[in-house]
Amino acid sequence: MKKFILIVSALFLIFSCMALASDSGRKIKNIRDLKTEKLAAQRGTVGQFIAEELLGENKKKLLTTFEKYVDAIAALRQGKVRAVVMDEMPAKRFLKDVEGLMIMKEAMSEENYAIGFKKGNKELIEQVNKALSEMKADGTLNKIFEKYYNSDVSEISPDDIDFNLNASGGKLVVGTEAGFAPYELKVGNSFIGIDVEMCAVIAKKLNKILVIENMNFDALPMAVSTGKVDMICAGITVTPERLENMDFSENYVIGAKQVAVILAEDFAND
Amino acid sequence: MINKRYGASRGDLILWACGLILIFLLYRSGFFTAESWQDFNRRFYQNFIKDQRYMMLVDGLRSTIFMTGYATLIGVAVGLILSVIRVAHAGGANIPLLNALANCYITALRGTPVMVQLLIWNFTIFASARDLNTEYIAILAFGLNSGAYIAEIFRGGIESIDRGQMEAARSLGLNYGSSMRLVILPQAIRNVIPMLFNEFIALLKETSVAGYIGIDDLTRAGQNIQALTLEHSQPLVMVAIIYLVIVLFLTHLVRRLEKFLSRSRRG
Repeated sequence: MKKFILIVSALFLIFSCMALASDSGRKIKNIRDLKTEKLAAQRGTVGQFIAEELLGENKKKLLTTFEKYVDAIAALRQGKVRAVVMDEMPAKRFLKDVEGLMIMKEAMSEENYAIGFKKGNKELIEQVNKALSEMKADGTLNKIFEKYYNSDVSEISPDDIDFNLNASGGKLVVGTEAGFAPYELKVGNSFIGIDVEMCAVIAKKLNKILVIENMNFDALPMAVSTGKVDMICAGITVTPERLENMDFSENYVIGAKQVAVILAEDFAND
Repeated sequence: MINKRYGASRGDLILWACGLILIFLLYRSGFFTAESWQDFNRRFYQNFIKDQRYMMLVDGLRSTIFMTGYATLIGVAVGLILSVIRVAHAGGANIPLLNALANCYITALRGTPVMVQLLIWNFTIFASARDLNTEYIAILAFGLNSGAYIAEIFRGGIESIDRGQMEAARSLGLNYGSSMRLVILPQAIRNVIPMLFNEFIALLKETSVAGYIGIDDLTRAGQNIQALTLEHSQPLVMVAIIYLVIVLFLTHLVRRLEKFLSRSRRG
């Protein structure tokens, strides 16, 4: 027993010394510098696809995918990766709350968000598209965006969102990954976010009860194609691969930037 | 290993040295300063107190215990049936098909990770079950999985009962089923109760993968707090502490139970 404790504490010491002695590596000036650096992304997101493209054949060695953005950012802060590829809006929130991070100025790509459906679910797609264009026309959608752009997510309460619980037309089950502020976030027992409020309005227009299913991002396509959920709304970008497995509504966000988040100390100022 | 010498051995010295170096390292990294204490308190408030965020953990704990409890019940039922089939077959009953099925079941469910089973249950077998609460799917998955393990526990329990018990029961005129039900199983179950509790404890920790199919269990609740506060360590450490406290409490219960059972056996 004592021997065991000894070995464990010795290993612990060695590892903590190694952690203290980690070198900082070379500075990062622009996106091209990231080609040979360790990158991180959330699994199944466009950020992962972009990072894979950037790294080329080195992706196996250099790319780490995480279940949650929080984990990716933690890896970045611990120096396990040099940059995290993610959407600009959630990245900005990290910058506000976590010290020592910065966003690379040049965007890695621009994406459009849409709602995903099971392939061939034409009826629901038509209804949702109609609701979306109505919301765009009468400014409801813009109002939702402004609400989240102009205030911190901690100021917003889920009690203000009408999940339309008294509707008579059945359920509208929406799959999402509630770790993607300001688009979706779990607060207490309920959800807030741009996507959530948008779906609430859509549910109202369809006379349905809004039910949010919170799952991992990479499980969302599976959930919608097996019919576990009616649609998925989680800041999802339309990509050719995804179009093969599901159908999409019209875009509700256009030009959402994909950016690289790095440590401020790693940035080459000159 | 019993160390009869008093005073510090070389191992003790190294242990103390390790501890001192650790404390020194923590001190160097500013762990004991007033600011870091204030910072800790501020983050603690952010993570657990503000907007009653601890309720997320409480709800997660409820879900974890709910799943574990019912899964254990299913596991005990399934395990009992499976073990009786296997023991009866070994004891000469003519049930080759049932025995083969039980064998297949135990091999398949013990030979694959519970997380893979959970994903298959949720996304393949119950793919179109929209109105079914996901927690019930998880209970089924965990329950059937632990059933395979509990079957082996029961089998060990039944086989630990002396052969003479069965022979005595049969010679008194009871048939195989009755002697199993009235004589063997009560003793076997008493023998395996501590092991069943251990299975419960193991299952409690195994349910931490339920987040993968969208259940906000204790682990997932911690992750939800992480997403809210963007703080990495505190929610996870808190979740770990909660698991540990429950497991320690249950382990304590098992010890008491073991003592009680062995005492009642002697008396």
